[in-house]
Amino acid sequence: MDLENKLTRFRTRRQLFKDCGFGVGKAALASMLADGLLGAGQTHFPAKADHVIFLFMAGGPSHLELFDYKPELTKWDGKPTPESFLKGKRFAFMDTFSKDTPKLLGTRRTFKQHGNSGHWFSDLVPNIAGIADELTVLHGVSTENFNHGPAKMFSNTGSVRAGRPSMGSWVAYGIGSESKDLPGYVVLQSGPRGPRGGAALWSSGFLPTAYQGVPFRNVGDPILNLSNPKGVTPEQQRQTIEALRDLNQMELEETGDAEIATRISQYEMAYRMQTSGPELIDFGQESKETMELYGAEPGKSSFGNNCLMARRLVERGVRFVQLYHTDWDHHDDITKPLDQVAKEVDRATAALIKDLKARGLLERTLVVWSGEFGRTPMGEVREKGKIGRNHHIDSFSMFMAGGGLKPGIKHGASDEFGFSPVEEKLEVYDIHATILNQLGLNHTKLTFRSQGRDFRLTDVAGRVINPILA
Amino acid sequence: MRLCIVVVFSTLAWGQDPLLPLLKQHCGGCHTGIQAQGGLSMDSIDALRKGGKHGPALRPGAGAQSLLVQHMTGEKTPRMPLGSPSAAGAVEAVTAAINAMPMTPTVAKNDAHFEWLLRVPTAVPAAPTKRAGWIKNPIDGFVLANLEQQGMTPAAEATRRTLLRRISFDLIGVPPTPEETRAFQTDPDPQAYDKAVDRLLADPRYGERWGRHWLDLVRYAESDGFAIDGERPTAWRYRDYVIRALNGDKPYNVFVQEQIAGDEFRGKKPAGAGDRLVALGFLRFAPWEADANSKKQLRQDLLNDITGTVGTVFLGMTTGCAQCHDHKYDPIPQKDYYRLQAFFAGTAIADLPVGFDEVERPKEMKRLMRQHEDAAEAAQGELDQLREELKKHYMALMKVGPADEGLKKFLGKLNTRNLFFLEQDLPLVKEPEWREPLKAYFAARDGMQRETELARRFQASAYAVKDVAPPATPELPDTYVLSGGDLAARGEKVDAGFLTCVTGESKPADIPFAGGSNGRRLALAEWIASEKNPFTARVMVNRLWQGHWGEGLVRTPSDFGKNGDAPSHPELLDWLAAEFVAKEWSLKAMHRLMLTSATYRQASVHPEQEQYAAKDPTNRMLWRMNWQRLDAESLRDSILSISGRLNPSMGGPPVIFSVPEDIAQGFEFFKWFPSSEEEQRRRSVYLIQRRSVLLPMAETFDAPNLSTSCARRLTTIVAPQALTLLNGTLTRTEAAHLAARVSGTADPVGDAFWRVLSRGPTPAERVQGEKLAAQGQAGLASLGAVLFNLNEFLFVE
Repeated sequence: MDLENKLTRFRTRRQLFKDCGFGVGKAALASMLADGLLGAGQTHFPAKADHVIFLFMAGGPSHLELFDYKPELTKWDGKPTPESFLKGKRFAFMDTFSKDTPKLLGTRRTFKQHGNSGHWFSDLVPNIAGIADELTVLHGVSTENFNHGPAKMFSNTGSVRAGRPSMGSWVAYGIGSESKDLPGYVVLQSGPRGPRGGAALWSSGFLPTAYQGVPFRNVGDPILNLSNPKGVTPEQQRQTIEALRDLNQMELEETGDAEIATRISQYEMAYRMQTSGPELIDFGQESKETMELYGAEPGKSSFGNNCLMARRLVERGVRFVQLYHTDWDHHDDITKPLDQVAKEVDRATAALIKDLKARGLLERTLVVWSGEFGRTPMGEVREKGKIGRNHHIDSFSMFMAGGGLKPGIKHGASDEFGFSPVEEKLEVYDIHATILNQLGLNHTKLTFRSQGRDFRLTDVAGRVINPILA
Repeated sequence: MRLCIVVVFSTLAWGQDPLLPLLKQHCGGCHTGIQAQGGLSMDSIDALRKGGKHGPALRPGAGAQSLLVQHMTGEKTPRMPLGSPSAAGAVEAVTAAINAMPMTPTVAKNDAHFEWLLRVPTAVPAAPTKRAGWIKNPIDGFVLANLEQQGMTPAAEATRRTLLRRISFDLIGVPPTPEETRAFQTDPDPQAYDKAVDRLLADPRYGERWGRHWLDLVRYAESDGFAIDGERPTAWRYRDYVIRALNGDKPYNVFVQEQIAGDEFRGKKPAGAGDRLVALGFLRFAPWEADANSKKQLRQDLLNDITGTVGTVFLGMTTGCAQCHDHKYDPIPQKDYYRLQAFFAGTAIADLPVGFDEVERPKEMKRLMRQHEDAAEAAQGELDQLREELKKHYMALMKVGPADEGLKKFLGKLNTRNLFFLEQDLPLVKEPEWREPLKAYFAARDGMQRETELARRFQASAYAVKDVAPPATPELPDTYVLSGGDLAARGEKVDAGFLTCVTGESKPADIPFAGGSNGRRLALAEWIASEKNPFTARVMVNRLWQGHWGEGLVRTPSDFGKNGDAPSHPELLDWLAAEFVAKEWSLKAMHRLMLTSATYRQASVHPEQEQYAAKDPTNRMLWRMNWQRLDAESLRDSILSISGRLNPSMGGPPVIFSVPEDIAQGFEFFKWFPSSEEEQRRRSVYLIQRRSVLLPMAETFDAPNLSTSCARRLTTIVAPQALTLLNGTLTRTEAAHLAARVSGTADPVGDAFWRVLSRGPTPAERVQGEKLAAQGQAGLASLGAVLFNLNEFLFVE
């Protein structure tokens, strides 16, 4: 059956469910939502990965301080930027540069090559450097908008404006969830401020809300209303659920209505979520070594805890886990504040990849580490005596691991100053296309019709980055 | 028909085109005759339109997008003519010649769908039927004729209980009271049903229920969206305008005109004319990136939103698809998109001073604004004092003088950061000696902020637009075709014009000067709200149909084009559209017609349903009534209504609902100040529509995302809905109140069933109910929660 037919079938089954008071169509809906567009376990072609963990570094990490080693930039430190680099370029907040030509800023970090792969890393990320040979590093990635909000929206949905489905929603829509008691797409947040753009970043847009990212909260229930209501004893709650089941069952027997059966099954899933929730968030089952590896502490809100949670979610069949860690926006000062956030992230990132590997999960889990953009090779002075970097969209770096990619290789490159890509221009849409590809989805065929048009995550662009595939 | 004429006309018109000799001279060497290179011959305009192996070489009206020009400029390779670059001015000359060609709609000739759609609907009677006795009004004739043709029969009429529940949820969004149900069930009047429909149509809750449908459609929101998501403090007046317009049965053509051109009406302003300015909010509800880098792009985004939204909302045409290129399915060339956009070229966003109308309680508004302003002022005084104390505290603690840089920074942060972020920036203030003074300071600051925000919501101001054109400015801004929708890729200049597929011509619209403004929007509004417009009436009656049946006769209500859903009953749709115009665009007349039809009054089960469902699984033939799940708002309002706690007050600034504390504290750019508990029990339509903070319960039950026009909500059934209804505060709180309400009655269990389901319990249900009730008040509350979770409550038959 071709995809168009499947789409039609999918719609028809949904319609059937909506419009008929009976029939197999409706009973199948719940499983349809869990199974995804193509049916349980079905993909466009054999998948290389089953899960994605996307570590989103909100604010725009400096590729020049972390991964993209530019000795030439260091030589030019403090000198005015050559005209040819600035021509036709757009930068955010240009007025915060002095009126003179902006001056280049060499990194103050020490870079070294690591592992057999020879990936360059700075001293800011010693733990990530320690797993260099697991990583597929991309340089010269570009994006479209140099404001945080729209750029994050673009990274996540392929559009700078709110309203499109996020990539996690597309994945859940495409291949569904393996888990019967957890959502297919979960969002975890850490760092001092919420990601700008908020819920729109994990919205399902015009896709059914079942595919929306579910943000797990750091306090109280991970999901709203997961616990029994206050003041209701477990005994009362049990009675309520039993009475409800009996009454709905009576109606089911009377009318033979499969819709009622569907809803009953949703209460069963809700009940399973209620019982599995506490188990999920209970880090007590983790060994002391694992807790130390991640730097995780029970009950704390941290990137380390979220990385560990990400592994636990993937183990339980969640398709797409997205972690947001904030505070990478270093305009004023690219020294101490960057040290701080790098420290928060470095150890747990490496721990996650190591731990996934040790448990045999890395092979089928694609880990992605990226921000919404990089930072300018020019320095930015907002405050006397301090120097930072501005937003840079023409070239930044990111890395991936596992999920059927070639480990220990790099792809793409930027020029001597880290201004622009030189080998091959990699776009965010290419990243999207590649992620979908690893999950067995053809990005040109994963579509949904809305307002008269078939939409894709990759709009009318996107190429799978073939050289990095294993 | 009209399309064919256009095509013939245009071919004739360019027969003598000066373009051909030019091309023959430069390109004829290779591109001529049957041996032409790449299959592209330049012997005639038709040959160029047909093109070669890469497709059509030219697209009339779109020079820059034509392959011919793209190869001449080198945008596409190889650059032509091969070896010798184009002579100076040749590219410009060819581009101009192509631009000057009349556009030809790209749709195929004799397309039956468009032949139907572009014809102004007329009322043609339905074919005769055998079971004419079933027919209650003309709607039924069309439905029955179709059914009989398929050898099908309609379902029986639903019971009175079902009918009253159905029309109550449908028209006012809450269930009938037990008294209403009993009275209706025993009413001997043969007109009892019609009376009930009339009563509900006259109920002001009708405007609240149907206003919500309209608000979905116009992407109504009370904040900007994007990162900052600033509040639009007076946007709510548009919501009240819609509710008033619907309750007053404002003719739809007037309703449309006010929203597009309320400021451009000719003649004297009648009483209540302020509403016309408030109505303009429609043009402004697009998300707005307040901190956008490019103001030009921001304005273009707004114009694009308006161009697309006007098309989908009023015309049911996806005009937005033609922003970057010609529409792929419908006869809307890209040029038409920009011609449509040109009607808005002189439009700028504006908050207009508009006094409150009598129904908006102007005195109360003024009083409340004063009250909150005074409170803000008082809070400011207190704040200044606390700030002074903090300053002293800092100086003493840090041993610095008043000119210290760190102190200045600290004081600056006191204005802009909240306590959470201040602690992030200045870990020092986490020390115990700071706790009390900072707590007091931020409490005072919150108080001031809250009062200031509240005062702003009562301003006599309309969230609207104005004209920046003559006489305000010497000339109107020009509109250009933007290649690929890119502001930097300006193509041909265009004038405001109506869709060529409707008018059959591409000349500019005739724009009479309207009172004090440029009159462009009024010209467009009059064209849309005209009985001659083939889309407007059809699209609106279809939306009404969808509101009642759950699905429209066209199931893609904002896309009547080729890629949308074909109408199940085109003759019925046309008849309804013509009737709508004949009834002077009265929405209530159309509601009445639909609701009193036998088609609507069918039961949702049919004796032949297994067989019929196999044949027509989605009930396109209307052989029974559809089941419909309550939408988020009706669900919430109904629960509050049943517990007896729904606060019925209408209108006014938005209600701020409570959110979990961690969410409330998490906003970087604003603070969340929930309204009083009593306020929070008002109808859902009055809850704040803030783009970044949706009511969690509404989100779970498929409320729209507020960013784009939502013509039809999806209905999903997912586990978090079960969690929300089972464990959520709303259900549990109101279940307890329901328990209190029924516990004093002679039959608490029976009364609870009646209130929730409009019927008493069956014997088996009673056993279950009494078992719970035996545990006293808490048990009755459990029963209430169970009833709110029942399918029978959540789904309307």
